[in-house]
Amino acid sequence: MSAIIVLLLAGGVPYYLLLEKFTPLKSKHIFLLSGLLLLGAVVSSLYIPSGHTTSIVVIALISAIFSIYRATKTTNFYKLGYYLVFVNAPFFLLFEDQGAEYSLSLLLSLIGVFLTAQFYEKNYGSANYHHITGITLATPCIGTYLAFYLIALALYPPFPNSIFFLSYIFESEPSVLWYIVVSTIFFGNFLLAMRVMRKTLFGRENPTIHYVHMTVKEKIIHSIVIVLLLTLSVLGLKEMLL
Amino acid sequence: MEKIVLLIPIIPIVIAFMLMFVSKKERIPRVSIFLSSMIALLGLYGTYHVIRTDTVIEGFGGLLIYNELSAILIPYVAILGLVIRKYATKYMWDEAGYKRFFILLNFIFSAIYLLIMSNNLIVLALAWQLLSISLYLLVSFNVGSDTAVKNARWIMIIHKGADLVFIFAVILTYKTFGSFDLAVLSAQWLEMSASPITDPMIFVIGLLYLLAALMKSAIMPFHIWLPYTSEAPTPVSAVMHAGVANVGGILLNKMAYLLLLAPGVLNIAFGIGLITAILATVIMLTVSDIKRSLGYSTVGQMGYMIMEIGLGAFSLAVYHLIVHGIFKATLFLESGALIKLARHESNLPKRLSYELFWEEKLKSKASKIFNYLAFLTIIPIVVFIGVKMVLSEEFFDFNASIIILAFGWLTGTQLFLSFFKVSRTETFKVVVALISSFIIILFTYEFVGLALEHFLYHEHARLFYEAATLNITLLMAVIILVVITVVGWLFMYKQHFIDVEGTQKASKIEWMFYRFLAKEGYFFSIIKRIRKGGKL
Repeated sequence: MSAIIVLLLAGGVPYYLLLEKFTPLKSKHIFLLSGLLLLGAVVSSLYIPSGHTTSIVVIALISAIFSIYRATKTTNFYKLGYYLVFVNAPFFLLFEDQGAEYSLSLLLSLIGVFLTAQFYEKNYGSANYHHITGITLATPCIGTYLAFYLIALALYPPFPNSIFFLSYIFESEPSVLWYIVVSTIFFGNFLLAMRVMRKTLFGRENPTIHYVHMTVKEKIIHSIVIVLLLTLSVLGLKEMLL
Repeated sequence: MEKIVLLIPIIPIVIAFMLMFVSKKERIPRVSIFLSSMIALLGLYGTYHVIRTDTVIEGFGGLLIYNELSAILIPYVAILGLVIRKYATKYMWDEAGYKRFFILLNFIFSAIYLLIMSNNLIVLALAWQLLSISLYLLVSFNVGSDTAVKNARWIMIIHKGADLVFIFAVILTYKTFGSFDLAVLSAQWLEMSASPITDPMIFVIGLLYLLAALMKSAIMPFHIWLPYTSEAPTPVSAVMHAGVANVGGILLNKMAYLLLLAPGVLNIAFGIGLITAILATVIMLTVSDIKRSLGYSTVGQMGYMIMEIGLGAFSLAVYHLIVHGIFKATLFLESGALIKLARHESNLPKRLSYELFWEEKLKSKASKIFNYLAFLTIIPIVVFIGVKMVLSEEFFDFNASIIILAFGWLTGTQLFLSFFKVSRTETFKVVVALISSFIIILFTYEFVGLALEHFLYHEHARLFYEAATLNITLLMAVIILVVITVVGWLFMYKQHFIDVEGTQKASKIEWMFYRFLAKEGYFFSIIKRIRKGGKL
């Protein structure tokens, strides 16, 4: 029973399919809900550590592959955010005893994505990034922050997602399922983040759109997220190397 | 005091952060160049220290090391970095994202320094991945260009694959040998090499490292990312061809003692390197785009480098990557000036070699010249082998030396002939030039190669040749040598000295082969068809 609860909390089953059909709930709410549930799973794993059966990890893996597919079809930051929660679920279940820090890093990067989504919603009418291309040159500040979040999500150092990912896999005992999960998470996150990077950071500026720059307050909030991410990186590096 | 050298990988990151706060555009390159010159000075100091005291500099809990390999490579990369930054100062001035370019450049150099100086597999894995993302961001620097961004995707996909393979190799290394410390591991591997190895896992680990190196060094069939990324700014091309593509060779040098335990991996490296060297060079000659041609040239050179490693000549690979890097960076960085000069003159700027050899006289009899050339250019090899046979018999214990020598000579001659546009009528000058190229190759391989070998691997260098030897007889080695020399020579003759009037029409099969090469094995046509959902 506890395994099923953790499976649900961590996003091991694509419950967003039901929530998406429930009209009053918007993608923003699903994002917040899935993030909060994952946080609940992380907190519970700290107090009730338990290993999970292979079948649970396999279910989460199938869900993750499906979520990767779904994520490639969206151009909405909120949707992308909660799909990423589901994509990373098998990793959390496979390394539940140690997986808390990785999930925290993931949640922190997703907060960055959430803030970006809010920025888009406020200034461009929706969290959809389709057609808002070339932000690297048009709005370099939001471009830089988004690049940081996407690099973190794509599991590249020096961000903590990559550090904790490496830290767990170096310490664990590989098996066939382990290889499949690690490869799926490694490439899944990467492909999704790179896809968004290509459609937002790169490309020509869209002449029909009035690009909006960030306010000082927004810059400060994003900077805090980045500093927190880098702090986690330092902690992760210390844990892994020393 | 000498520990300060270990700060080298951190300095570019500090520079990158400092640049974020530099508001005046003209100060960006100044800050970058000034602080980067500190790195070069530190590198030179570190090299001086290693050579003088014959000890390595270790620090950060054994995570970083300034050893013999770093002593050679760090000053090279640092000076290359300085030149590229200086070049980029004016070249990139009008580009949007001037500051971003210098920041990214510093990140990629930090990754390269970290990779060279890492003494820990985890640090190496981090540097390995940092390099991938920095390269991607640099290659797609021109964010508005669809083709630049599209082609940069190949970099990401192949490099991400290399990252995963590398991580798996690190995990298996740790599970098998119980340490991440490269110095400890190298000592352990060296000790193990004294007795026969039966564990197949060591072969798998070696193979994974090789695979990761092949992907990062653009060896076939993972080469696609290199020839198609020439749309990147010229300084980035210089970094890619002279720095990033070399990391495969650097990695394999770091893993040299592991590969002692897996001779099969060395043989595979030799085979793949050989195929890449030949195929990439032939494609280089057939593709119509000059930039892609340069890309394939680098792929071919990387093939040579991997082939040298496959033959146990690890130190020679280091020498090769430095020389090739300098050569290729010069080519890229000089291209702009050459175009500018060409715009002012009706012909390309003339050089001494051009003045000496270029005059074309079609009246000459090609067959007579061919006889002269064949006779006078094969003689040096025969004389050299004879002398070697008398003076040092052990040279023939390792067929690697013979094969490297033959290829080295062929490369030198090919380079000479294509670079200087030699006329077929200037027989005497051509023969002298060919013999000179042979002497240069010989000097390089005999003296520079040996000196580097002694510096990098001391008395253990011989072990690599022993491990990599292909177990063929002296007779076989000599036959291979003759075949390589004659076939290579004929190829060059046909390419450079064939009589224009007597040229025959190519057969259908020859055309098909040519088309195959010119279309780079139809790789992109297949990809396009797959994307469109059409039939292959």
